[in-house]
Amino acid sequence: MAQTEFDAIVIGSGMTGGWAAKELTEKGVRTLVLEAGRPIVPEKDYVEHVPPWEMSFRGMRDRKKILREQPIQGLCYACEETNAQFFVKDTEHPYTTEPGKPFRWIRGRQVGGRSIVWGRQCYRWSDLDFTANVREGIAVDWPIRYADLAPWYDYVEDFIGISGEPLGLGQLPDGKFLPPMQMNCAELAVRQAMARHFGGERVLTIGRVAVLTETHRGRAACHYCGPCHRGCITLSYFSSVNATLPAAKKTGLLTLRPFSTVHSLIFDSNTRRIAGVRVIDSQTRATLEFHAPLLFLCASTLESARILLNSATTEFPGGLANSSGELGHNLMDHIKGGGAKGIIPGYENRRSFGNRPNIAYMPRFRNVNEKHRAFLRGYGFQGEADQDGWPRGAISPAFGAGFKNAISRPGPWQFTFSGYGECLPNRNNFVEIDKNTVDAWGIPSLKIHCAFGENEFSIRKDMSIAAAEMLSAAGAISIQPFQDDDPPGFSVHEMGTARMGRDPKTSVLNAWNQSHDIKNLFITDGSCMASSGCVNPSLTYMALTARACDYAVSLLKRGEL
Amino acid sequence: MDRREVLKLLGLSSALLAMPAEWVSALRAIHASLGSTPALKILNPHQDATVMAMAELILPQTDTPGAKAVRVNEFIDRIVADWYSDEDRVRFLAGLATVDARTRSLFQKDFVDASPSQQSEILRALGEEMAQATETLANAPRGYRGADPEPEDNFYFMFRQLTLTGYFTSEAGFTEQLHEEIIPGRFDGCIPFGPPVASKGS
Repeated sequence: MAQTEFDAIVIGSGMTGGWAAKELTEKGVRTLVLEAGRPIVPEKDYVEHVPPWEMSFRGMRDRKKILREQPIQGLCYACEETNAQFFVKDTEHPYTTEPGKPFRWIRGRQVGGRSIVWGRQCYRWSDLDFTANVREGIAVDWPIRYADLAPWYDYVEDFIGISGEPLGLGQLPDGKFLPPMQMNCAELAVRQAMARHFGGERVLTIGRVAVLTETHRGRAACHYCGPCHRGCITLSYFSSVNATLPAAKKTGLLTLRPFSTVHSLIFDSNTRRIAGVRVIDSQTRATLEFHAPLLFLCASTLESARILLNSATTEFPGGLANSSGELGHNLMDHIKGGGAKGIIPGYENRRSFGNRPNIAYMPRFRNVNEKHRAFLRGYGFQGEADQDGWPRGAISPAFGAGFKNAISRPGPWQFTFSGYGECLPNRNNFVEIDKNTVDAWGIPSLKIHCAFGENEFSIRKDMSIAAAEMLSAAGAISIQPFQDDDPPGFSVHEMGTARMGRDPKTSVLNAWNQSHDIKNLFITDGSCMASSGCVNPSLTYMALTARACDYAVSLLKRGEL
Repeated sequence: MDRREVLKLLGLSSALLAMPAEWVSALRAIHASLGSTPALKILNPHQDATVMAMAELILPQTDTPGAKAVRVNEFIDRIVADWYSDEDRVRFLAGLATVDARTRSLFQKDFVDASPSQQSEILRALGEEMAQATETLANAPRGYRGADPEPEDNFYFMFRQLTLTGYFTSEAGFTEQLHEEIIPGRFDGCIPFGPPVASKGS
């Protein structure tokens, strides 16, 4: 491969790889995107409108096949009968954990990566998040503040299209929103009760979601079919396949190479730069090399760490770009599993129509104005009111025509609060190469050491208590608090492992997502995170990617890489 | 393959063996009725007939199709054959057999041969036992977890789950009975129910 063919290589075509491809090509950079998985053609691969009666198991999935091939991926709610192919086969992608410390690694290998199946919730960080580490003396300080990222949040939101409601809250800055989706009867009732009982401290709003409520940049408004994670032929939700990769392709400067499993990076010890990428063709198993002066690593938090750890050299025996020794460490995922549900009376003769691909949201209220005595940081609630459908009839002893019609009507309105809590960075949560375990391409896999700690468990407990308290305030009946023991990884918000920081001795990346050690290496997926916040992280990854591309191209054009 | 083997495969009673003059036409009729439906994977004709009779009693034809018309039996057969664990399959088929045993002890005939009121009586008894199993679960000590208890190993609960799923995920159940649409085109968060639809079948 000629050295001059590409100016940049992007590893990964998902949430952040798609953004790197778009930004780099739009700035005139000839870019090669390497994707380990297969191509995705929306007209052929999207399955959102397959009716249940055309599914062999009517939506109950091919249970035995999932147990055989995808026992871990199958635990994810979004891995369904028609779209299980958007998740890896666990049999091809083994990894190991410590006994008693499970980690659920949910992965997608295809063009678009997990951006095809993501939850689409988009929230900005605030300085409450960016300053948390330094205020509390935990881990390292973020090298950036909200003001550094705010214009890039604007930029990203303007392109992807986010529907939502501005609230004017300091802890959850407003963005550039398309019109919000509707809340339903019971959600509005809970919203009003929160305003009555908690003033402005606890606010229930509609989720800020990367689903269009009006035509936006050539993509159509949502038609409310519901299961976005199966794809969207009208491109109404954001994914790299639906938006960033087509934009990159339009420049004529994009080369997208699917079936390109990255084995490792090639380090040139003379120039102290990444010289290229070693690739195994996923189909033919042929080994290939690609070269370019600029490298963006966007393979996802754990895959990026794995590639760097598998790229160890004599200069970097503990993994490439790891002079700090922090590579692979400080793995985080949001803690979930705490919350409560209850029945909201008073709307028995009301129903909703259409399948809203969105939930209600309550921004963080702990440790915002007053310090909580039991834990640091906080959590947000995803909430939703819905009505039980026909499945409730299984437990009923009734039968006959009256029963048939009764269960065809929706049941009582039930509201559920489900918390997503911040996870503290902890050096003891880390990944390393497991030399005894290789994937189907012979590449050594990861051993993951990760467990939640006391602060996270205190947060989860408070989720249930606060949720039950709020449901009570909202006049709910049959309130049921819950505590699910969801292991880390299950929020699919894994982050850390190559954190940003001010000091090369204690962090892997600088304020521009650039490696302290290797100037032409940028890492902009979730691995760059120095703390986890409590909101869904993809929007922040995207903003960081666009910002890093802007900086990298300025260096490239000045010949400083 | 001899006549005895054919009859055995079809699950017919040995009484038919005593009617050699009629067996050819009887088999033709059975083949004709099977011709319109794909072969079942695990349920024999008698089990299939029992399943259909029970399912139709739970979700009968009204002004919309019932369980039989949407072939809930084919869905149940597929799940029992290809989806259930070995343990659940044994549990389900044994439970189905006890429906006949129960009907025979009360009415001296198989479930499919019982009158509608006798069949209803059997379903009511199965429902009462399911409710007791649920209550036992509800009273059992459990963790700090708010879930409705479900007697997952109770045959009648398994049967009802499959019947409801098979019916409401069928095209007629989904579109005619639930009035659902694959592409609704809009979202209304809070609209009134229409007037309750009167059932022609009750």
